[in-house]
Amino acid sequence: MARRTMTLVGLFILVFVSGCTTTNNKGEFEVVYSKGDVKGETEKIEERQYTIAIVPKLVNIPYFNAVEEGALEAGEELGVKVIYKGPTVADSTQQIKVIEELINQKVDVIAVSANDPDKLVPVLKRAQRKDIKVITWDSDTHSDSREFFINMVNPETLGRHLMDTLAWNVDEKGEFAIITGSKSAANLNVWLNWIKVQQRDYYPNMKLVEVVASDDDPHKAYMLAKDLLAKYPNLKGIIGNSSVGPPAAAQAVKEEGKMGEVAVVGLSSPNPMNEYLKIGAAQVVTLWSPKKLGYLTVALATNLVDGVYPSNQQDVPQVGRIHVIEDTVIMGEPIDFTKENVDQYDF
Amino acid sequence: MTFKWKSFKNYRLMTKLIFTYMLLTVLPVSLIGYVAYSQYTKSIEEQVGEYIPKVLDQANESIDYYLADVKQLPELLYNSNQVIEVLRKDTYQNKSSLLQDRFIVNSYLTRTYINGEADVLGAFILSKNRLFVSSKIPYSGFAEDMLPFGQDLELKGKQSFLLPSQVPLSFKGNPPYILLMRQITDTENRMNLGTMFIAVDLSFMSKVVENLETVNNADLSLLSDEGQMIYHTDSEKIGLMDEQFQKYPKINGSFRTTGEEENRLISISRAGPDDWVLLHSVKLKNLTERTDLVRNATIIVFIVIILLGTLISIFLAWTVSRPIHLLTHQMKEVEKGNFEVDVTSKSSDEVGMLAKSFHSMVAKIKDLIRLNYQIKLQQKEAELYALQSQINPHFMYNTLETIGMAVEEGENDTVVDMVSILGRMLRFSISNKEKMVNIDQEVQHMKDYLTIQKIRFEDRIEFSIQDHMETKRFVTPKFILQPIVENCMKHGLDHCHHFKVEILIEIKDQEVHFTVKDNGPGINEAVMAELNKYLQMDPMGRRDSKFGLINVHGRITMMFGEQYGLHIESKGGIGTEVTIRIPLIPMDLLNEGERAN
Repeated sequence: MARRTMTLVGLFILVFVSGCTTTNNKGEFEVVYSKGDVKGETEKIEERQYTIAIVPKLVNIPYFNAVEEGALEAGEELGVKVIYKGPTVADSTQQIKVIEELINQKVDVIAVSANDPDKLVPVLKRAQRKDIKVITWDSDTHSDSREFFINMVNPETLGRHLMDTLAWNVDEKGEFAIITGSKSAANLNVWLNWIKVQQRDYYPNMKLVEVVASDDDPHKAYMLAKDLLAKYPNLKGIIGNSSVGPPAAAQAVKEEGKMGEVAVVGLSSPNPMNEYLKIGAAQVVTLWSPKKLGYLTVALATNLVDGVYPSNQQDVPQVGRIHVIEDTVIMGEPIDFTKENVDQYDF
Repeated sequence: MTFKWKSFKNYRLMTKLIFTYMLLTVLPVSLIGYVAYSQYTKSIEEQVGEYIPKVLDQANESIDYYLADVKQLPELLYNSNQVIEVLRKDTYQNKSSLLQDRFIVNSYLTRTYINGEADVLGAFILSKNRLFVSSKIPYSGFAEDMLPFGQDLELKGKQSFLLPSQVPLSFKGNPPYILLMRQITDTENRMNLGTMFIAVDLSFMSKVVENLETVNNADLSLLSDEGQMIYHTDSEKIGLMDEQFQKYPKINGSFRTTGEEENRLISISRAGPDDWVLLHSVKLKNLTERTDLVRNATIIVFIVIILLGTLISIFLAWTVSRPIHLLTHQMKEVEKGNFEVDVTSKSSDEVGMLAKSFHSMVAKIKDLIRLNYQIKLQQKEAELYALQSQINPHFMYNTLETIGMAVEEGENDTVVDMVSILGRMLRFSISNKEKMVNIDQEVQHMKDYLTIQKIRFEDRIEFSIQDHMETKRFVTPKFILQPIVENCMKHGLDHCHHFKVEILIEIKDQEVHFTVKDNGPGINEAVMAELNKYLQMDPMGRRDSKFGLINVHGRITMMFGEQYGLHIESKGGIGTEVTIRIPLIPMDLLNEGERAN
């Protein structure tokens, strides 16, 4: 009798002790600690497509065509809609009209290469009031009317380098002239200033005889170049301070038969300069990749819609590292195109 | 249950006590032990479950950090304009210029990646049907036509990691690696220059894992978003699929398996680069290894307590139930009629008290039985004795012979006397219903007896009876004198020619003293010693006495108590003196008593 009781007690204890271990068989896994669920792929919200408007100084010149190419490429790769629209001539009034149209289209970002820093301020501020982000590229406006400015190169570096390229080709002496774009374009004026500084600092035997403005009109530039050659027979070199300058100057030099006498340098795309470089009508042109600039502008504009501002040493995919100084982004270093390497580039 | 309860109620007290004690010790101890242990292990699980994901997040960070460096590696290509220039070319005039370019790029790769970066196993560039290679250790499987993705792969500027299972590439010694694939873009011309592959040794993972403060014997694995093991602490598993990966809860945290033979605590961090998942898996058994000591100690303590509890409960139950059991046994013995039981209990608890009460009850019963039973028995014997003396044929024969002789001699007076005396004696004997008689009657009976003997033996006997009290007022048990006197006669007549008997009746200290004195030969010392021994013995013990004296003594002590009875003094040659002491009982008191009865 007692033994049976003991067995009963033993059984009872066993059941009791093992009682709780075999209960949970609900799921295969039992969460012990969770910092929160991870959203499955299906739960990710379909994002609205951004619309980014790129406004160049003018359309249909090789430089800005290349920018367009890069911008559209970026739009395709990053999945954003890119509207590339600009005035037919480098004129701020027309540019304002384009911007107003874009405001009415309710784009997310307007990226402008400003023809005139002052005149564009009101319309850009109006865009900002309508919750449109405004950035500038290529040519800046006032800093309070845009988020940041995408500069291709450091203006001091570029200006001083342009002066240097001319000096190498004229033995650091003689008269030279500059064909700039619009007299009101901020970026051109800054470069122009650094060209002068560099000449003053290092090349006392050289003399700037005249600065003429082409308003980025290729024909006007050609005429101005011819005039300069006629006006200054001792002219040793021409610096094109905007992309229409060097082709026009090279063409004029070639036509006047002054190849080898007058050196042509400046800012221009390699494609229009390819022939001139090879025949010796121009010695060296300097530029960056306008395609890259277009791509970068769209990439940074897309980030901006997402609330991400560019940072120093940021690695932008497909572009590389960028530098940021205060509210200015610097895309990279200038590239020199000579007859040796001009074939490598296609813009 | 009711049946159980009923049967439980019928269990023995000891069983019930043991059961109760066990329940009282085993239940709380097992409860506390179990709760303490399970809470402890649970808290360890929770602690580890909370701690490990943090460590994994850190590990993910360092992996991320490391991979971010790896991802920067292709950028180094842009540092060399010469290499970019080669990559931009797409036509060659002759073989030597192609080989020259290959030399340029390969040596740049070697300089920059193989010599510069410790973990790079090999760098490959596929560009416009050209393959540029530099590798640290011999490889096989990587050829431009064998790859499913050529230089025209549209990565849209992104880079991704390929796992060894996705490419036929393998290195000598089969080190685990991942292959970084990156499109080389001509950022200036916005053109695709080709694709770069950099094979990175996964040994960095073991460094990351080494630095993790994790639990011993844990498995750590890095899984791709599809569950393929990119890295595993067990290198043989690298490349395999984690079968259960898709079933894992979609959390950052820890969970444990419940359906496996050896359940594991799995911590997961999904914060890794490229949607990689860092998985930490440890067997719960190993996790609670350190608590095993606690558990074992608990179990040992538990067993010890249960054993102790069982022993104590058995002991307690035994101490309670055993005296009761013993008492029951003894009660049964008493029931059977055996009063000689030892119920002395040493303890003074309730059971001891019960035993004592039982003991005194048994003693009382024993006494009462003795008194009633023994006295009755003695009485019967006395009656039998009286009956015997009544019809004593010897005495009768002698008396009748004496009467016959007297008739012959013509002594008519003597005959008349003897016959009347004998008649009186017989009447006295017959009336033996009464236990108590007047002293007077008893003395008269004695006188009659002695008178008959005197007539028979004539001058050989001389007797005297003196009473110094009112013999009629007091009573005595019947036949207390006759056995004494008969005894005297028996011994005296054999030895003396002139035998003398004196009977003295007096009151001393509220007692009646009968003194029978003779001048017989006395009792020799040996007989005397035996006699005294019998007299001092419990009179109850010996009922079948060969001595008439002892019978008398027994009856008196039985009736009146130990302080009464016979006293014998004897001196060899001089005589014997027997004193009978009985309490002084007046006649009327006896009557009252008889009436009351």
